[in-house]
Amino acid sequence: MISNTPKARGASGLAMAVALGFAVLTPAPATANEQLVEMAKDPANWVMTGRDYNAQNYSEMTDINKENVRQLRPAWSFSTGVLHGHEGTPLVVGDRMFVHSPFPNTTFALDLNEPGKIVWMNKPKQNPTARTVACCDVVNRGLAYWPGDGDVKPLIFRTQLDGHIVAMDAETGETRWIMENSDIKVGSTLTIAPYVIKDMVLVGSSGAELGVRGYVTAYDVKSGEMRWRAFATGPDEELLLAEDFNAPNPHYGQKNLGTETWEGDAWKIGGGTNWGWYAYDPDEDLFYYGSGNPAPWNETMRPGDNKWTMAIWGREATTGQAKFAYQKTPHDEWDYAGVNVMMLSEQEDKQGQMRKMLTHPDRNGIVYTLDRTNGDLISADKMDDTVNWVKEVQLDTGLPVRDPEFGTRMDHKARDICPSAMGYHNQGHDSYDPERKLFMLGINHICMDWEPFMLPYRAGQFFVGATLTMYPGPKGDRQNALGLGQIKAYDAITGEMKWDKMERFAVWGGTMATAGGLTFYGTLDGFIKARDSDTGDLLWKFKLPSGVIGHPMTYKHDGRQYVAIMYGVGGWPGVGLVFDLADPTAGLGSVGAFKRLQEYTQMGGGVMVFSIDGDGPYSDPMVGEYVSGEPT
Amino acid sequence: MKRLFLTIAAMALAAPALAYDGTNCKAPGNCWEPKPDYPERVEGSKYDPQHDPAELSKQGESLAVMDARNAWRVWNMKKTGSFEYDVKKIDGYDETTAPPAE
Repeated sequence: MISNTPKARGASGLAMAVALGFAVLTPAPATANEQLVEMAKDPANWVMTGRDYNAQNYSEMTDINKENVRQLRPAWSFSTGVLHGHEGTPLVVGDRMFVHSPFPNTTFALDLNEPGKIVWMNKPKQNPTARTVACCDVVNRGLAYWPGDGDVKPLIFRTQLDGHIVAMDAETGETRWIMENSDIKVGSTLTIAPYVIKDMVLVGSSGAELGVRGYVTAYDVKSGEMRWRAFATGPDEELLLAEDFNAPNPHYGQKNLGTETWEGDAWKIGGGTNWGWYAYDPDEDLFYYGSGNPAPWNETMRPGDNKWTMAIWGREATTGQAKFAYQKTPHDEWDYAGVNVMMLSEQEDKQGQMRKMLTHPDRNGIVYTLDRTNGDLISADKMDDTVNWVKEVQLDTGLPVRDPEFGTRMDHKARDICPSAMGYHNQGHDSYDPERKLFMLGINHICMDWEPFMLPYRAGQFFVGATLTMYPGPKGDRQNALGLGQIKAYDAITGEMKWDKMERFAVWGGTMATAGGLTFYGTLDGFIKARDSDTGDLLWKFKLPSGVIGHPMTYKHDGRQYVAIMYGVGGWPGVGLVFDLADPTAGLGSVGAFKRLQEYTQMGGGVMVFSIDGDGPYSDPMVGEYVSGEPT
Repeated sequence: MKRLFLTIAAMALAAPALAYDGTNCKAPGNCWEPKPDYPERVEGSKYDPQHDPAELSKQGESLAVMDARNAWRVWNMKKTGSFEYDVKKIDGYDETTAPPAE
């Protein structure tokens, strides 16, 4: 049964699910937090964006390993039926795989016993105008899962480009509730994946390129009722600060800075949206995320540090109150939107002290590691020595020492700034190998020329105000516009790169590491690759139908380990190809940088699933065959 | 004129840093300085964005009406046990007031 509308009734779907013997998850009497933590321990499941609350994209499974990875073959695949960028990764819970898609953000549930069967599909109707206010392709980064309780069965959550957050019954796909979070009329859209903590679902925001003031909102999973909302700029009440905000690090700044670091009311259109990823520490009840860039890109139009854009936040989940915030890029001049992945780990620092850490590879070219209980800065290393906007980050003051030569300003065209606005790292969800204590970073190698211009703010219209030219960094091939990416294994304590490799294009989608000693990732030119986590040697790859901008995932089903990845090129690097643009400064400057991409890939959209020897549900070819008289 | 004078004085005090490097802080968490030859405040300068207050308030207004509609949706689902997105179909909906207190 395929339900084409959210209104489709669930009764028959549920009946069929039971008839076909799908696992109906019996909720345990624990809180949703604990249940999700427990479920994530089972390699059968991948219940959230980064697999578990530590957001490490790491699997304990060793079935697929360095020795046998050469035998990895496709087991099955699924086309989503839409083109454009396919970011994020599917979720797997028990016998089900949940797949999201770019606009119009259709959600699919597949039966892992017979993936040829679409168990349900929930296809929303959206105002197509939403597409016109999406800055960087009509992507979406994923779904979220709530395990249910005695009253309400498990739910799947989806954000839509048109600004809605939707809860659907995981068994039937029937819509439970829909709430308005963002208004496309003011240029505010949603591309971020929702995130479930306790009995709340968190929703971020997009639209800093249209002057949208960023905010994060928590809704009750069952009713959709808003629990709290916290902005990135403005008065402290709206920033939702705890009494002791930044008390352990008062030099980061504390009260009233959401207005005092802006001139006049500019904070009202000050950006700071969060469209990246979250991580959560249940013991501290703190979740972590980054706020985006200030608006507009023209720095001269907004004097001040522009707090709290570009900040790493530690917020109490229950109340939403911020315990700490550290601004990485005060007064941004390069669009280094600070929304990137947050990976949690527990490691000994240089003094031999065990610390609960948060590691965050930022757009600005620096990998930050903080103590996640209090915001202490532990390390801040350049992910490549060619970063030039900053000389260093002072660990005692937390301040980046800017190199004035590579700043931007009105009536001036700055050149050879590294990283570019696309960052040395973007939206890719990376991984951490806790055995090797290494972060597997998918890195960009792109620099730029930048010249701002004056422009008015009109709600609903773009509010960028800069012209960019982007090209490969110093280690790439500028003549041929290739060599735009790197992949590196990073030690957050020593600051060393265990290994590093160049890639033809930016490694945009993120990485996944496994106890089998493998690091998987997809490439824009259309491969899934597996490298040796100790050496970085390339051990295996496969040519997918299209380029990859999502992160790999893995799960165990029927005793067999699978690796799945979405393909479908797009996102910011794909806008030239996707919208057929030729002007190198179009697509906010990405068209020129990625002009060679179309020689290697075209648009696509789907999931490809791999296993050793390609074994899977259809190894017995009779599985799923039509048998007269039986419902299929 | 006074502002210009103060700006020049401040720049003189900020010496020897000839350019904004982000390390001279007025207060904790507030370390911005104008670049050489650029104004301390843009209001009245040639870089004045001249934002229209009506435009600046549109986002806040939009959030208020979305939140109000959501409150009715939540109220209605709690009352009836079924969800209705279209607030115009919600019995008792009044766009000028919040839903009745429980």
